[in-house]
Amino acid sequence: MTIRHHPNDATLAAFAAGAMDEGRRLVVATHLDICPACRQAARAFEAVGGVALHDEAAALPLSADARKRALDSIEQDLASGQDLPAEKPAVAQAARQSALSAYPLGAWRWIGPGIYWRPVDLASPDTRVFMLKAAPGTALPDHSHTGIEWTAVLQGAFRHDHGRYGAGDFDEADESVEHNPRVEDGVECICLVAMQGQIRFKSLIGRLLQPFVRI
Amino acid sequence: MQRDELEDPVSLVRAIANDADRQAFAALFDFYAPRIKGVLVRAGTTPELAEEIAQEALLSVWRKAALFDPARASVATWIFTIARNLRIDHARRGRGVSADTIYKVLSGSDPERPDHRLESAQRDAGVRHALDALTSDQVAVVRLSFYEDKPHAEIAETLGLPLGTVKSRLRLAMTKLREQLEDLT
Ligand SMILES: [Zn+2]
Repeated sequence: MTIRHHPNDATLAAFAAGAMDEGRRLVVATHLDICPACRQAARAFEAVGGVALHDEAAALPLSADARKRALDSIEQDLASGQDLPAEKPAVAQAARQSALSAYPLGAWRWIGPGIYWRPVDLASPDTRVFMLKAAPGTALPDHSHTGIEWTAVLQGAFRHDHGRYGAGDFDEADESVEHNPRVEDGVECICLVAMQGQIRFKSLIGRLLQPFVRI
Repeated sequence: MQRDELEDPVSLVRAIANDADRQAFAALFDFYAPRIKGVLVRAGTTPELAEEIAQEALLSVWRKAALFDPARASVATWIFTIARNLRIDHARRGRGVSADTIYKVLSGSDPERPDHRLESAQRDAGVRHALDALTSDQVAVVRLSFYEDKPHAEIAETLGLPLGTVKSRLRLAMTKLREQLEDLT
């Protein structure tokens, strides 16, 4: 799999800094899951966070008994026979699972000719996340957004004005982007999408679909 | 108490892992807990919550000491990720999926990329070098966005710049940082 489209570096840095809402974090993590280059970059940005912490000039003293309370908790840990720090929890050795697999998924729903939609149940409402599945050759109606639309392609491929997006690719569209993606022939295309704001269809057929596309 | 420098933090974490060394813990606590609190308060967390997160982060350092891998990250970076995840988990108030679950994607090692090419101290020196190479304009946006967790629109307002300029400046700055850091991680 050749990945051609990645999140931009500011997005990877924001992910590493934790400066991102849950929905966008999930879609970026889904790309990182399949992209070693972006994992490496995100780890580099974590190191920037570490240096920032170490060199923090505005350290604030904790309350006077804070350290004593921490040490008391530690003695309690030790007295109650909890694992000594040296004993590695078995979970650390467990195989990594995708971030998406930790989330409850809704049922697939038909939202238009050849297009199915499935919500991902997030705790925070800031950004909606859903999966889209479209049959080979499907053209999605020409649309624009009032907010960001970030897409991680899981299977298949689509094309729009900015290029071809295949499995592993990440499409980072914001409110300035207007596009009409078309799914390639071959296999059906499955994507994970994070979206803010509203989606606006330009064509009549799109506007007719709008009531169904409650996304 | 606050400290200005910390001798050999890797050995301190090892002393916790191997000998349950309380003095090593106290040294790490005195150095990092006030820094975590400072960073969080500047990013808008209340002092009370910031202190709670700093406490919890250092307790995690004790409990997870044996999991620390100096080949993968410096002690500072490891503690940064612990505090980041705790901050996210506090914000979600127990609902949904834990930050540890999401960020696990970065904690595995990639077989195609040999780790431990550099000692963590060298790596952090490299990061400081890369930060020094940024222009002051770039440092300003990196600081506001990355360290202080400010949305782009707020940065634009603070700096009196158009939103598009903030976005492109931030991307350029991060790309420049990344290019310098590519060989370090
Ligand atoms: Zn990538």
